[in-house]
Order: sequence, then structure tokens, then C-alpha cells
Amino acid sequence: MKFQEITFTDTNAKRLYKDYIGRVKHAVKDLSKENQHETLLEINSHIYEAFSLSKSNEVESLLDIFDKLGRPEIFLKELVAEKKLEEATRTFNPLKIIKALLLNITNGISYIIFLLLYLSLFSFVFLIFAKIFDPENVGFFYRNNDIFVLGKISSSSINYQQYEQLGNWFIPVMTVSAFILFVIITFLLKLSKRLKNK
Amino acid sequence: MNVEYKNKWISQLKKGTLSFIVLNILNKDKEYYGYDLISEIKRITDIDIAEGTLYPLLIRLKNENLVEHNWVEQQSGIPRKYYKITKEGKSTIAQMKAYWDNLNQTINSI
Repeated sequence: MKFQEITFTDTNAKRLYKDYIGRVKHAVKDLSKENQHETLLEINSHIYEAFSLSKSNEVESLLDIFDKLGRPEIFLKELVAEKKLEEATRTFNPLKIIKALLLNITNGISYIIFLLLYLSLFSFVFLIFAKIFDPENVGFFYRNNDIFVLGKISSSSINYQQYEQLGNWFIPVMTVSAFILFVIITFLLKLSKRLKNK
Repeated sequence: MNVEYKNKWISQLKKGTLSFIVLNILNKDKEYYGYDLISEIKRITDIDIAEGTLYPLLIRLKNENLVEHNWVEQQSGIPRKYYKITKEGKSTIAQMKAYWDNLNQTINSI
């Protein structure tokens, strides 16, 4: 379905309309092309229907319609947050998910928890890089009833390297762990969304 | 009288009942497009809603499978997005209505 601009005879009305549509486009720019287009079509339809019933001049009519609709940056905020989260959990794209959670942060404590869980995934990425730059002191150090460290150990007189359990497997294990955790958190996020909708 | 408190209460009440009103209107088995639905809300309830707030609400109702929509081309070239209630929406509004009636009865008996 194609977006068609509403036509006006008054140039000021045309300018007002283009400005408002521009603001709508800007407010939904984070959404997928399909969702951007659908939102734009719906708002345009609202303006057209309201305008076609209006009896005052074009500029006055438009000002009244925009006043009643509200500022796109405000009233579309919730719609964008809702659609963005739906898009993000469908794609499994971590950056999209974090962006969507940031947009939804005011919509409930669960979104804050999920955001923190996703951010914790970066600690695995950090460990992978830390292992590359400091292979001696980074790893999974374990000895029964004595030491349990996943990360970086401070250099000291004791040689902890003998307790490192993963060796060359550290990076693959961290990569797979991060991936598995990411999939689990994303499924939990989807599940929590579904439960909220019940 | 504390006018400010009363107005705040009315505003919260309107916000809280908007989805109930929308589902009730759609439950009449007629399809409505956004602007048409807003006009109907205003006509029936005399509530002066911020029109833009209806669209996120409709998205929420759709995500909850309570309403569905379809685009219909118009001669003007500007299509309309028609909303209609789903089966799940009908059973949900029936339960919401029963609760509302019960609440109303309780409040009136106080």
C-alpha cells in the first residue's frame, strides 16, 4: 500500500502538513521499514479523515487536528517502544534488543532486569578479550575449598596458573556460554512478553 | 472541594477505562477505522481523549489478540485501517463487563 500525500490549496497548510508528517517519520525512524510505513499510513489516514469533515479553512483545520492528535514525539513513543520490542525479540539481534529495552525501561521493572541481564553478557566478551591480552592471569581458576575465580586474578607470589581449568578451551567455552545465555534470556523475554499479554 | 484531586481522579479513570470503552464499541460487530472510533468514543461517552493516545492502545489490543485489523483502499487514494474485535476479545470484554457491573453494584450499595 502506497503512502499518498494529502493535497492542499493553501501553501501554509501544505507546509504545516509536511512539517507534521516529517515529525511522524522522525518519531518512528527506529522501527522496521514496514512498521514505519504502516504507522505513517495510519496517521495520514487520521489527518485526511478529520480534514475532510472539517468546516474551517485549511490552516485552521490542520492546526486543530494536530492539536487534538498531540505531538508525534510524545504520542508515538509508546507505540514505537511496543513495536520495537516485538521486532527485536523476533530477530534475536542483541543490539536491537538492548535498544528496545532502553525504550521500554519506563514500562516496568522486568525490562530493567532484562536490560541488566543482557548487559551482563558483555562480561563474557570482556573475558574473551582479556584472555587474549593477558593469557596468564585470565581464566577459570578452581581448587576444591580454596579458589573459584572466573576472570582475572591479580599477580602475586602464588602461581595460580596451575589451577586454571580451561586452558585453550577458555575462549570457545566463553563464546558458547555467552551464546547459550543470550538465547535463554531472549526466550525468557519472549515468554515474559507473552505472559504480560495474557 | 479539592478540584485538583477530583480532576486527577477523573483523568486516571478515563485512562483506565479507555480500553474497556474501545472493546465495548468494537463489540457491536462493526468495523471502525481510527478516526471513526475516536468520533464514536466522543459521541457515546463525551470523553475528550487525546486522539493520538488511541493508536498505541490499539497496537496493545492487537498484540494481545483482542482486536485485528485490515487495510481497505479508498477512492481518495488514502487507505483506512479498519479494526474489529476478535473471538478472544469478545470473551475478554464479556468478563470485563461482568466485573464492571459487579463493581458498579458494590459502589452503589455503599
